[in-house]
Amino acid sequence: MMLANYIGAVALVVIGFYAMVMKRDIIKIVVGMGLVDYGLNLMIVSVGFNEGGTAPIYTFGELTSGMYFVDPIPQALTLTSIVIGACVTAMALALCVRLYKEYGTLDAHEIRRLHG
Amino acid sequence: MEILIKAVYILIFPGLLFATVFGLWLAGIDRKLLARMQKRVGPPVLQPTYDFFKLLGKETIIPANAAKVTFLAAPYVGLISLVVTALFIPIGGLQAFGGMADTVVILYLMAIPSLAIIFGGSASGSPFAGVGVSRSMVSIMSYELPLILVLLAVGRAAAYGGYTTFSLEQITVIQQLTGPFLLDWRLIPAAVAMLLVIPCEVGAHPFDVGEAETEICEGPLVEYSGAPLAVFKLSHCIKMFIMTALFTALFLGGVTTGMLWLDVIIALVFCTIVTVVSMTLTHAVMARFRVEQLFKFFWTVVSGLALVSLILVWYV
Amino acid sequence: MTYDVYMHFPVLAIMALFVGAFLVTLSGKREVLRNIIAGAAVLIALTLLALLIKPVMVDGEIITYWMGNWEPVNGYAIGIALEVDALSLFFGLLVAIAVACSCFYSFQYIRQDDARGGYFTLYLMLAGGVMGIVLSGDLFNIYVMLEVMTFAAVGLTAFRTWNPNAREAAFKYLVVGSIGSSCVLLGTALVYAQCHTLNLAQISALIPGRMNPTMVLAFALLFTGFGCKSFMFPFHPIAADAHGAAPSSVSVLISGVFTKTGVYGIIRVSYFLFRSMGLTSMQTGLVFIGCVSMFVCVTMALNQHDFKRLLAFHSISQIGYILTSLGLCTALGIAGGLYHAINHTLFKGLLFLTAGAVLYATGTTYLEKLGGLARKMPQTAALFLIGAFSISGIPPFNGFYSKWMIYQATFEKASETGSIGYALVTVVCVVTSVLTLASFIKVGQSVFFGQMPLEYENVKETPLSMRIPMWIMAALCVFTGVAPNIMINYVIGPATGAVLNFPGYIDAAMGEGYAAATITDTGYLAEPRLLTIGAWNPVNWLLLFVVVLAAVFLVSILGKRDRGEVNCAPDSKHAVFFGGEESQYSHVASGDLFWGFKHNLRGYLGFMSKAHSGVTNDYVLWGVTALAVIILYCFAFM
Repeated sequence: MMLANYIGAVALVVIGFYAMVMKRDIIKIVVGMGLVDYGLNLMIVSVGFNEGGTAPIYTFGELTSGMYFVDPIPQALTLTSIVIGACVTAMALALCVRLYKEYGTLDAHEIRRLHG
Repeated sequence: MEILIKAVYILIFPGLLFATVFGLWLAGIDRKLLARMQKRVGPPVLQPTYDFFKLLGKETIIPANAAKVTFLAAPYVGLISLVVTALFIPIGGLQAFGGMADTVVILYLMAIPSLAIIFGGSASGSPFAGVGVSRSMVSIMSYELPLILVLLAVGRAAAYGGYTTFSLEQITVIQQLTGPFLLDWRLIPAAVAMLLVIPCEVGAHPFDVGEAETEICEGPLVEYSGAPLAVFKLSHCIKMFIMTALFTALFLGGVTTGMLWLDVIIALVFCTIVTVVSMTLTHAVMARFRVEQLFKFFWTVVSGLALVSLILVWYV
Repeated sequence: MTYDVYMHFPVLAIMALFVGAFLVTLSGKREVLRNIIAGAAVLIALTLLALLIKPVMVDGEIITYWMGNWEPVNGYAIGIALEVDALSLFFGLLVAIAVACSCFYSFQYIRQDDARGGYFTLYLMLAGGVMGIVLSGDLFNIYVMLEVMTFAAVGLTAFRTWNPNAREAAFKYLVVGSIGSSCVLLGTALVYAQCHTLNLAQISALIPGRMNPTMVLAFALLFTGFGCKSFMFPFHPIAADAHGAAPSSVSVLISGVFTKTGVYGIIRVSYFLFRSMGLTSMQTGLVFIGCVSMFVCVTMALNQHDFKRLLAFHSISQIGYILTSLGLCTALGIAGGLYHAINHTLFKGLLFLTAGAVLYATGTTYLEKLGGLARKMPQTAALFLIGAFSISGIPPFNGFYSKWMIYQATFEKASETGSIGYALVTVVCVVTSVLTLASFIKVGQSVFFGQMPLEYENVKETPLSMRIPMWIMAALCVFTGVAPNIMINYVIGPATGAVLNFPGYIDAAMGEGYAAATITDTGYLAEPRLLTIGAWNPVNWLLLFVVVLAAVFLVSILGKRDRGEVNCAPDSKHAVFFGGEESQYSHVASGDLFWGFKHNLRGYLGFMSKAHSGVTNDYVLWGVTALAVIILYCFAFM
């Protein structure tokens, strides 16, 4: 089951990089960045997963021997990373809007005043 | 007493006074022999000295477009840093301030006078100077690559106990043990490369693209007159002395007779010979290079020679 | 663990900046209040770090601060730590100095901008993020701070509304920078998967000697991620865009400070966490990357027509020096790299500030349009010359000393390993250095000297409040160049020692004896020993210079009556010699310089110019390719 997660995560990252490299539309580049980010998040959550574990929230009454839970730290990391990813996407889209206003196009091959 | 000796070193020998006199003398020899090679009578050996004093008495004109402070300070900064550099180079075993700078430092210290000419010319605001600045810089770029290769080859040859060196002291000491590096066949290409680097570093004839009189009216020097020009001319002469002394230290060091004064005289004779071989001869037989030819020549032929030496020293 | 008041200084330094960022927003449009808050924040951070010099640098103490006092339990670090050893403090001080100078400079500088409200918020966020990275002892914390920093930097790059290129630069920066961030995040996750801890000290104790393919991948990712943040080749084009488009006071931070976090990360990852620098393949790899960065970027810089873009390429070129030197894995190499890091911050900061001054006074940084400004802005010209001489390594300025150390380190490495390749590295370094000099002569000729276009007749020197920070940086440039012994004894030496002293770092965090119990690969690095193979004494050189100067002065006074008089040219007709005719405006501008050089290398230069196409996709492709190559290289040779 975890294998599927890892494959999925790698696939998302690869698709994301593909979009960033091949797609000329800058919105699609931003989508690619997002995909890479989601792939990583999936990967990190999967890293911390324990088969059969419970949520890492308990009170002393509920705690029994032989009980174990999934690793909470990767989840915390993922939450942070999701927040950061959302911010990055928002910022990138804001820049896209400004770029469209200034250049009149979303084609990355035409947004290249800075070159050489 | 200590201080007095130091003061003598700095001011008289091999510092200010000696560098001036000997540099002017070398320039005179250069001109005289060049004339003889071209079957002319040539000026007297003291002609550069006369020129220097005559220029000192002339009026200095600062062009209206110039950045004054840089324009006036540049020649003096160049001259003084040259004189200080002269103190670091051992002359026939005499090391005035030996342990204070190594070969790489001297490579960089020698850039200061060139920079002084460049920024001085640049500050004059003349378009001729602008072109000259560009060309001078290209010639600096040209010779730096072969020069560092030569220095590394010599540094490797002077390795002691597995440690390669930049230290001129150690290079001298090793040569006292093994004989001058010029006699080491592996270093002969490097010595040839160095002989070609000297005129380029000094800005002497076949490589004087930066100051080509016939093309750009002496480039950076076009607006200079009077005392600052005299100082620049003097710097040129002192540079001849320093570069030939450096060659002597790198390739002809370690010739000892046991008497210091005799060693020094021998070294100075070597300096003169190197001047004649590297500057007068090339001047007499070659026409001036074009800028891009100069660059190509130095980055292919001369660097190639130095690299061959480095590889030979490394592996043979 | 002794409890002392300075334990709290690192966290307070970071807090001061972040709280400052928050308060600045509250101050709204009241500019004086805003300036006071921002100035106080950066000064507090600087003071706190300066107070740490005594315990950390001199006494060699390592400060560990557990957030919320969550100390390690049963040998597992569960809390978030701030850990300050000499290396962290070294970089922290760099950051604090550059941030303070640039902050005071920008009070006046950003008056020209219309949207100044957000400036100091983002500025202090950026500063706080950088500070957080270098002082942190927790891998994930570093990632978060990295993102905070990148975010603020992107915001500041896009900040100039009237700069038409700013948004484009910011977008490219964000996209390519996200590759680096993703790499760091994934690397962190993989490290956590293997070690079940995020504490640097504990990771450093657990990983080395237990390498498996996952760890190799993690190393490659972290290395690439931090490499991306240091803008090493082939991530350099975005740096050029971003440095050029951001306001100069921010360029100082992005170039002088932001890139240092990448360098810091590379040191931490490869010397510290994985300790892979002992491998010949890793040394070769890092030195290769460094050499390519320095050469490619310096040749790109020669092609540029914009002052700040040129400086940006030089910035990466100098980072190349630092990486090369660090890749040698000898004490002298590390010391040279660190010395160059501090020098790079100082002279590059100074140069960016002078570029800002030119922009402030004339409204452009386009080299072809400028000229002859030295007559109108003499102090700025002097400052520029100090910066230019420093970066091109003219003795006795600071760039020379560190470059000289790097040359020695590479040459010594060559004789140690018997490989001629390292000797050629020395040659590449020297050639890069002379090309650097060339491009600064180009700037000098086309901005400060030569003829002045008529429209700049009314240009004024920049205000005093902008010049003071520049003079401070210039003074530091001279100081670090002239007093290398002080620097090496008190700053560089301890920092170099800290790079190699990983057991001390581990013990300070995890408790005495933890390192000895867990480390399996002791002694992969010998005791730091700074062995120089040359000699250079800048103080004595200066003394000699002064003596000779005095002598020349004396001679010229004594011979006064033989000397001609000094006169200025009487009118504009005699301005300069012009073939006997009245002179015209004929400035030799940047594009025309160094023809001989450009003509010979036209194939290479043209190719490089075309390769830096400005298309975001291409830069991403370079980045992804670099990532793939580094991963393959690590798998093949580790």
